[in-house]
Amino acid sequence: MNEVKLQKVDDHRLPTAILGGSLAPDARSVVAACMDGIYTVDLDSGDYDQRYAHDSYASSAHWLADDVILSGGYDGRLEWFDLKNGKSLRQNQLHAFWSWETAIDPKAKHFASVTGQYLAGGYKYEPQGEREPSICVGSVETGEVFHRLPHIPSVQAVAFSPDGQFVAAGNLMGEVRVFEVSSGKLAATVKTPDFTSWGIIKSHCYLGGIFAMRFTPAGDELLLAGMGEMRDPMAGNGKQLWQKWKWDQGEPRLVDQIHDGEHGEGLMEALAIHPSGDFFAMGGRLRGGDWNVALFALDDGRRLTTLKTGYRVTTMHFTPDGSRLIVLGTQGQPKPEADGMIAPFGRAERYVLSGADG
Amino acid sequence: MAAGAASVASFNGLFSIPALAEETKRRGKKCILLWLCGAPSQFDTWDPKPGTATGGPFGAIATNLPGIQISSLMPRCATLMDKLAVIRSMSTKPNEHFQGIDALTRGDQPRPPFTRPILGSVVAQQLGQLDSPVPQFVLLDPCPEGNEFKAFKAGNWAGWLGAEYGPVRAGGDYGIPNIQQLDTISDGDHADREALRKFFSKKYENDYRSTAAASHNAAFDRVQGLMSCAPLFDLDSLPEADRERYGRGAFAQHALQARHLIENGSTFVMVANGMPWDNHVYQHEMHQMLVPELDNVMFQLVNDLDQRGMLDDTLVIAMGEFGRTPWLNDARGRDHYPTAWSLAMAGAGIRGGVVHGATDALGVEVIEGKVDNRNLFATIFQTLGIDPHEEYELPGLPTFHRVEDAAEPIREVLA
Repeated sequence: MNEVKLQKVDDHRLPTAILGGSLAPDARSVVAACMDGIYTVDLDSGDYDQRYAHDSYASSAHWLADDVILSGGYDGRLEWFDLKNGKSLRQNQLHAFWSWETAIDPKAKHFASVTGQYLAGGYKYEPQGEREPSICVGSVETGEVFHRLPHIPSVQAVAFSPDGQFVAAGNLMGEVRVFEVSSGKLAATVKTPDFTSWGIIKSHCYLGGIFAMRFTPAGDELLLAGMGEMRDPMAGNGKQLWQKWKWDQGEPRLVDQIHDGEHGEGLMEALAIHPSGDFFAMGGRLRGGDWNVALFALDDGRRLTTLKTGYRVTTMHFTPDGSRLIVLGTQGQPKPEADGMIAPFGRAERYVLSGADG
Repeated sequence: MAAGAASVASFNGLFSIPALAEETKRRGKKCILLWLCGAPSQFDTWDPKPGTATGGPFGAIATNLPGIQISSLMPRCATLMDKLAVIRSMSTKPNEHFQGIDALTRGDQPRPPFTRPILGSVVAQQLGQLDSPVPQFVLLDPCPEGNEFKAFKAGNWAGWLGAEYGPVRAGGDYGIPNIQQLDTISDGDHADREALRKFFSKKYENDYRSTAAASHNAAFDRVQGLMSCAPLFDLDSLPEADRERYGRGAFAQHALQARHLIENGSTFVMVANGMPWDNHVYQHEMHQMLVPELDNVMFQLVNDLDQRGMLDDTLVIAMGEFGRTPWLNDARGRDHYPTAWSLAMAGAGIRGGVVHGATDALGVEVIEGKVDNRNLFATIFQTLGIDPHEEYELPGLPTFHRVEDAAEPIREVLA
């Protein structure tokens, strides 16, 4: 592989934090899930429109065919919205608690949404069992939910396999459950303690877990992202961490993880796999070190290049032709001005890749 | 200066005379401080700002007070607001934990060399039954660390009142060891040994006017008391249904234990759990767990005290050392914010169904009824029947007052 480089070509601001989002089919716009609702953003001009709002933060959004948006929010609701006529097509109150994240399978046939509130279940704050099913899988076309699947709250990340046959959900405690989409049967369970911290310094509780997840292009491995263990979970100074797990044959096993000397500190909450299948991007917050977005080779895990964006990255997407990386995120929320207005702090950037095969 | 309440019970007889034991439990005002160290977000507890840029993701719900909302994370307290007084207009100065803890547990910022006693020590000294075998001031905190709270815990809690008014600490790994009488020693032998120790150490204390020996003797007296009331510190001895009802987390379990201690003669119990509320990162991920636990603890505790006829005499306070910023940082957290924050109280003469003060639309500034730590402590002392403005006449020191500058109590919340 040639040396890969990233060069920023666009830098746009949105009024509030972007927590999730996806690319339009033409790859020139994004739909952004923000604290105050769903926005579309023209990446060429930077123009944006607020299309609709959830009753709390919007946490994820997908741009389906025919300019229909499917979004999830911390109101526990999924919403289908028609951009052409500006109307809501369907609202589905899936969860009593948040929709932490949603995923759409590659054929846009199925959706999955994960939920769960971390509540104290034991003296040392072991998570309480679920009060509602943590994973909902349903039809994108009709909104019908055909699987409500169990996990241990909170379930924070979800992804479909490239062939759409499996859905994986990862939680606070570093447990990933992989289910067969057609039957809802549990196919595998990956358990990794490396993303979860139990507080020693400030208090006793669990924090962290898996914040982003992707199947590799072959579908036989899972990429997980988050932050390494900390003595004080509230310091946010765990190592920037990804792991790759072989999950589909026998006992799941750790194949690779971020290499020593290649990580700084901070929570990683975004993963994207390049269309070539040669490398992936991981991004999040910089707490210590000199990068918060980096590209890594998928075969041997070595770090290829890094970025220091100056803000927390929440979502990333490669364009279908592989030529660009779209980076979405947020700065810290500014203090309100005297008139009560708050300066824009959502961030959307576009980077051109050079040196990448394909 | 007011003297401490007279003893009503001897060490050996306290629990053997039912009428006296009952009187001991009922006598005087008491206090449970739910110490929310690290500082909770007022937005996600008592002062929600739904639908605003600073409101956070949790929303607000109606309460049993018309027109008053609190965070949707507190559905149980929403049914209890007629018994609570909520102060939404706390505005204090310290912006760092250690100084904030100092001001909100002692009532004021330091004025060296005077070390102001912590609230629990004052209440234990003023209202406690000093010869009671039951510790008058108990700190329940299972977390041995706690960042700045750890440093604070290592400091001088009782101030000029002296070590005997400091807390007995329990919770988690802080069991109280070696308070069971050895099987190999008879009661008589045990008493003889203690009498001999006491004779010599008291003689040394008197001969040399030794404050160190005095503290040592006070500690021994306390241990003697603890040996008689060890079951009070055994969480496993509490009814399983109560433990389930309060919740399984350490903070909830110790809140139940606090009720149990108050019922059985303690005067002041401070329930803490390290410094869990300091959510500079993972604000919403932590508050989704911590606030529901607090909600349930307040609900169970206040209702239990009420049903036992103890709420009129027992003050419950839930507060931290300040609040949290209206704006979110880039680590999904809120930072320290003493400018405008909230707390709640109930019982012991506090008027229920009151929400004092108000903040602006985004929760940035107090716009009505601004009060500070001095007003708060004047309120606490007033409702407990302790003179808020009493002078401390200490040798070689300027005159100090229990609450300085004649700060007024918050009249609106006093019944």
